[in-house]
Amino acid sequence: MKTANQPLLSLKGITKQFGSLTAVNGVDLDVCPGEIVVIIGPSGSGKSTLLRSINFLEEIEEGTIVFEGNEIGYVTSKHGRRHLDAPHKICALRSEIGMVFQHFNLFPHMTVLGNVMEGPLTVQKKSPEQAREIAVDMLAKVGLSDKRDVYPATLSGGQKQRVAIARALAMRPKLMLFDEPTSALDPELIGEVFDTIRDLGKEGMTMIIVTHQMGFAKEMADRVIFMEKGSFVAQGTPEDFFANQMEHDRIKSFLNRIL
Amino acid sequence: MKFFTGRVVKRAILLFSCLLLLLASVCFATDYDQLFTDANDAMAQGDLPAAIALLKKVEFEKGDESGAFVRSRMQIARLQFALKDMEKASSAAKEVLAVYPDNSEALNFLASVKQEQTPRYQVFIQDCLRFLPQLLKGAVMTITLVVCIILISPVGGLLIALGRISTFKPISAVCWFFIWLFRGTPLLLQLFFIYYGLPSMGITFKPFTAAILGLGLNYSAYLGEIIRGGIQSIEHGQMEAAKAIGMTYWQAMRRVIIPQTYKRLMPPIGNEFIALIKDTALVSTIAMVELMRSADQMFNAYFNVTALILAALIYLLFTTIFTFVFEKIEVRAGIYENR
Repeated sequence: MKTANQPLLSLKGITKQFGSLTAVNGVDLDVCPGEIVVIIGPSGSGKSTLLRSINFLEEIEEGTIVFEGNEIGYVTSKHGRRHLDAPHKICALRSEIGMVFQHFNLFPHMTVLGNVMEGPLTVQKKSPEQAREIAVDMLAKVGLSDKRDVYPATLSGGQKQRVAIARALAMRPKLMLFDEPTSALDPELIGEVFDTIRDLGKEGMTMIIVTHQMGFAKEMADRVIFMEKGSFVAQGTPEDFFANQMEHDRIKSFLNRIL
Repeated sequence: MKFFTGRVVKRAILLFSCLLLLLASVCFATDYDQLFTDANDAMAQGDLPAAIALLKKVEFEKGDESGAFVRSRMQIARLQFALKDMEKASSAAKEVLAVYPDNSEALNFLASVKQEQTPRYQVFIQDCLRFLPQLLKGAVMTITLVVCIILISPVGGLLIALGRISTFKPISAVCWFFIWLFRGTPLLLQLFFIYYGLPSMGITFKPFTAAILGLGLNYSAYLGEIIRGGIQSIEHGQMEAAKAIGMTYWQAMRRVIIPQTYKRLMPPIGNEFIALIKDTALVSTIAMVELMRSADQMFNAYFNVTALILAALIYLLFTTIFTFVFEKIEVRAGIYENR
């Protein structure tokens, strides 16, 4: 762990249900500024759902999300029913939390530069010149300055994901969420995406990363969390986590399966 | 005796000559009838020149009270016409006109000879020139209607599509009902209802307004379903990615989702608009004079199929242009896919 002052993000008792299935079951998590949290676990364990809940792409049934000391996202009506806050507030919150998806989800009808400009231009209402300037900077950061005028269809998977990272960064988020950012990539393309994420970490970006790449977890996580059936089973620093993995049969069998 | 003989002879000669005269006059009259009968026989045997030769023997007599002369010359004219000798045919008719300048049968005959002598294509061109001005006037109205509906229906369709996928139940229900109603009844019935039916409820429209209203509502309903399909075919991740950078639902729709539907929507919408060109013909039933109505008017006035052929050609021209234009737009709309 890096600095241990007030957490940037604090989750308490997050519970998300899909019908009778409890995808996330009372999860607590504090993330300090600059911290890199890596969540691992088998498919269907609720990792992605947890991540999406932080960004309000999933509406949670129970629990609170505290961001920069303020409880956010949900209000309780007069009748005691809890629901998502007004859309414009949710949008404002989302613009402070960047998200990168497994399948990139770039906007295919916009050029690479257009994709990265879109947030500042449409959401932050910046002038086209300002938005362009930001986008050019962000593309330089992910090393894709030469691709700014092409459409996403011509990019490799790794390049697409780096553009997606640039697109999220263009909003100047305080927190970045990565939902299996390399799972859809060919093995030889994973490295370039990790390099980009690693650089972000060095700059002090706070990140929560859901991944299946243990090497990456070992190398750059401040904290590794193993999640299964909607709950955190174990967590610790990478050294601690991977040294003591034998204690948990479930973790052991999971790691054996994917390593 | 001599005296007697002389008188008898004189009387006999007188009687004979009288008889002869009588006979001759009878023969003279029956002579023409016989000629016609012979000519008919010749015609029946297919020997038209012989028939003509027989008929030529009929000569003009003062007054032509029996009408034999006119009858014979017109018959000759028709036979010559059948033999494709237009020169002789017209000269036969002209013989009649020389005596009776106003004879309508002969005049008509000459006109049809003239018609026969002009080549087919020339006749067609003449018909075209006769019908085109009015057909083009109708075509302008057809195009006006089409352009109006092309401007109106995508907007209406988009609103209906967005209403249909709205999570707010009343709006989605209203839009569902609208589509159900206008897709489920014939356009012709809708037009009748608006133009002939609503006045009984105190709402009266001019034909043009009624036509725009009927076509506009109908096509909005159809396009609504098409556009809804287009929007829902866009991968869900696009909406999430747009929301993740802080866009509102409407910003995401306007900037991300709807622009991606353009290429997918072009083929079905192009199809609808081609159908629209033809559907405008239906408004001819509510007192609108457009291309179909003009063609119908021309056809009824002249009983000339060229009017219908021309209208078909004009419709084909329009639909062909549309087909090409929509192919071009489709390619342009999807330009990001291959670059």
